[in-house]
Parts: sequence; C-alpha cells; structure tokens
Amino acid sequence: MPQSKQDKNIERSWPKEGVIRVPAWIYSDPDIYARELETFHYGDTWNYVGLDCEIEPGGYKRSWVGERPVLVTRTEDGEIHVMENRCAHRGAMLCWKNSGKAKDITCPYHHWAYNLGGDLMGLPFLRGAGGKGGMPRDFDKSKHGLTKLRVARRGGSIWATYSDDVPPLDDYLGPEILERLDRLVSRRPLRLVGYSRQIVDSNWKLYWENSRDPYHATLMHPFLSTFGILRTDGDYDSVPLQEGRHEYTFSRYNPELRNSTSEASRQIKSIRSDLEMRDKEVVNSVVDEFQDGMMGAFQVFPTILVQQYFNCLVIRHIILKGPGKHELTWTYFGYADDDEQVRELRLKQSNLVGPAGFVSLEDSEMLALMQPVVESRPDAEQVIEMGGHGTEAQSTMMTENLIRAFYDFYRREMGL
Amino acid sequence: MNEWVRVASVDEVVEGEAFASERKGEAIALYREGDDIYAIGDVCPHETVRLSEGWLENGLIECPLHQSCFEIRTGKVIEGGAAYEDVACYEVKVEGGSVYVGEGRRP
Repeated sequence: MPQSKQDKNIERSWPKEGVIRVPAWIYSDPDIYARELETFHYGDTWNYVGLDCEIEPGGYKRSWVGERPVLVTRTEDGEIHVMENRCAHRGAMLCWKNSGKAKDITCPYHHWAYNLGGDLMGLPFLRGAGGKGGMPRDFDKSKHGLTKLRVARRGGSIWATYSDDVPPLDDYLGPEILERLDRLVSRRPLRLVGYSRQIVDSNWKLYWENSRDPYHATLMHPFLSTFGILRTDGDYDSVPLQEGRHEYTFSRYNPELRNSTSEASRQIKSIRSDLEMRDKEVVNSVVDEFQDGMMGAFQVFPTILVQQYFNCLVIRHIILKGPGKHELTWTYFGYADDDEQVRELRLKQSNLVGPAGFVSLEDSEMLALMQPVVESRPDAEQVIEMGGHGTEAQSTMMTENLIRAFYDFYRREMGL
Repeated sequence: MNEWVRVASVDEVVEGEAFASERKGEAIALYREGDDIYAIGDVCPHETVRLSEGWLENGLIECPLHQSCFEIRTGKVIEGGAAYEDVACYEVKVEGGSVYVGEGRRP
C-alpha cells in the first residue's frame, strides 16, 4: 500500500520540551494550514494590504488577505476601501492588473458592475431580454455588493480585517510597533519606489521564523558581514512584543566598528577580509534621515516585515499560497519630498535586499531547499535553543528567542 | 445652423416603447408621451449599448446592461448608477406625418 506523504499516524501534539522544539508537521499538515488561515488571517488580526502612495483617487491596487485576493480602492473623495476581488455573482476574479485607475469594476464573466466602494451598480439583462428571463422582481442589488473588509490606516499604511472583534489597529500594533511604524510611514507623505515579487516554495512560517533569526544572517549572508552591515559585536536588540505576536530587531549604526574586524567575524569562514566595496554608498549611511543612527526591522503578525537598511525602506508582504508555498512582495518606498540624491540612494541601496539582492545566498533559496526535507520527516523536531530557553528580549544576534516567543504565541492561539 | 433630419414616420413612435433610429450616424431613440415626442441619444455613456433595448418606465429609460436610468424628456442621467454622464437631447418637430430632429445637445 502506498504510504501517504502526510502520515496521519504522527501524533499532533507539541513536543514536551515546549518552545525549544518545533514539530516538523506544522510546516506541511494541510489541516494545520487551514486552521492557521481561519485563526489568524481571517480571524482577529489586522492584515497589511498596501501603502496609500500606491493608489491615487479613482484608482485601485490588488492585494491579498491570507489566500484571498482583495482590491484596495480609493474613491474620488480620498476614502480607502478594501473588498474581495471576487464577483458576488459566481466568484470570478474581477481584476488581475496590479494597479491602475478605474471608474468602476466590471466582472469579465457576466459584466456585473460595481463602484469603487464595492456596491453593485448593475447587471446585464436584469429585466431579461425580449420579455423573457431576467432576475426575479424582488432581486435586491443592494444586497449583492462585494464582500467588504474593515479598513484602518496608520500614516501611509493601510490595513484590513474580517474581524469585528479585533482591537483597534493602534492597540493591535502596540506602542513599540507604532513608534517604529510611525518613524517610517507617518512623518512624511510616502512615495512608491518600486516592487520585487518572488514565489517562495516553502511554508510561510519558515520565512516568518527566518526574519526572526538574526543568527543565520551573519553566516548565510556573508555580504552583510563582509561589508560591516551586520556586526556580531555591535548593539543589537531582539525584542518580542505583544506576547510574541510581533517583534523588532534594531541595531545602532557605529562607524567606528565598521573599520575593525571583530574576533567573532574572524571565525566566520564565509567572510572575506580581502574584498572591498568600490561604491561604498550602497553599504553606508550617507544621509542619516532619521537622525537616530538606528537601522533594523520589525514584524507585524501575520503579514509583514518592515525593514530599514540606511535609506532603503521596504515592506515584505507574505502572501499565502498553500501549505508549501507563499509569495513575497517587496514594496520599496521613500518620501514625496525626497531630493535627487536621496532618490538615487534609495534605488542604489535597494540592491542590498530582495530576490536578487547583494545578501549572498537568498533566504528563499535556502527555504525552498529546506521544505521538501522538512516534509519528508514530519515526525522530526527542530531545535531552537540558541540564546537559551527563554522568550524574553535579548541584546545579541546569537539568539533564537524571537522564534521561541513566536511559537509561544502560536501554540496558545492554535491550541497546540 | 440647425439642420432638420427625418428620422421616423409619426405612426412608428408609440407610447410605452422606444423607437430606435439614427440621425446622421448618431444613434437616437424616440419616445412618445401623449401628443409629445422626445428624442435622446441612444448609446449608454457607461458601456456601448443601445438604451432603447432597455426598460421604459415612469418617463425613464433604463439601460439593459447596468440599469443606469435617463430621463426620456431631457437625456439627463439619474445619479447613483453606473453611468454618470447625460445623453444628448434633440429638438423634435412633426411635419406631414414625419418626425424630424435637429442638432443634439446636452441638457
């Protein structure tokens, strides 16, 4: 008898050691995946869907909440709406262009037409043709609009939820995330720089953990260590927030340290001390626009990682595509009042990250290699002990505290 | 100069029905209310379809595609539908059993 890939005989209970072990079946089990979508993306969370600079009045952009395609629109009065990109009639996708301007949204299948607020304006042959057919007289167009999501905005960022019970966005984010989000998206009007998009052939949580894992970055991304962007000996904060739901990592840029080689760095064999960067603008803080010398990243569960490397500002949006696949959209942004020099710097420094970034071996390549191996041994357990067993904040890159904090939160929410 | 063009015989335009016609290449429709005959543009400004194939009720012609409504007396669009532009309104005269319309204009 052929053995199924998903061995149902494996006990679906968390290892007794707690969050220092992660059972491999959570990366492939379709039931777990379905429950994650219901519990998280379609449950009591705020999902990032875009930036206001991506949509002009009378315009739209496509986005996703969980696996569901949505449209983010802006009516002429400036108001932002988020609705499912799914015709209320038969479920056809209404729009597959990433962004643009539109007077209305008309389904290609039977031409049902909606306004940018998602209300059904009309449908062909409501009264039939030649006196025959058509909708029943009591068909009420006002009851057949697109499924609308609740919307919240913070600075230039746009968020949506299916939940009526989720706390207001500001409370959901919490003061530490708000401070860091405002630093990047609320002080000046935003400007879209551009996008990268990539399909990652792994479970979304492998990527989620990866960006909570500073440990790998010094080793797997030797470019960053070689040119002094990541320092094993610098100040580095790994701080879990909201009971593990969100997190931030920040480092202080120290030009002094950049010119020395630490003992730890000497131990990393992938670091090449004989290489020098010809154009140092890519790896330096040329314009200290935030006046605080900080750079780093933060995660807002369950959708985004927001990152600032010098003048490169980017939001990584994780879009689920099944248990073993997700899409990563990188939205690079700047500010409407950026001068020529800063515009140039943002473009240049955007080469650091993304699917073809200078980071050396890219995360998604590693995760795509990892996924089938993880799937082949759903009964195995991952070891998450770097930095001890705790889930509290730490001031080092050599820790997996943020992964443990995430699974502490995850287990509670999923009842595992 | 207002040029009058013959578009129908007066018997063809009956109450409760749209009569589709053409004036120098422009699609128009004629409507009757008692002794009065009205002529308005017949292409929906939302999507290209003839309004005269739609639903006529209470002095309004309703587009067969998305139910935008227009006043048959003036061509004026009723706000809140898929279309947000008026259709043209034409001057009408009846002479010797024929219906003539002049230049169209927006209300």
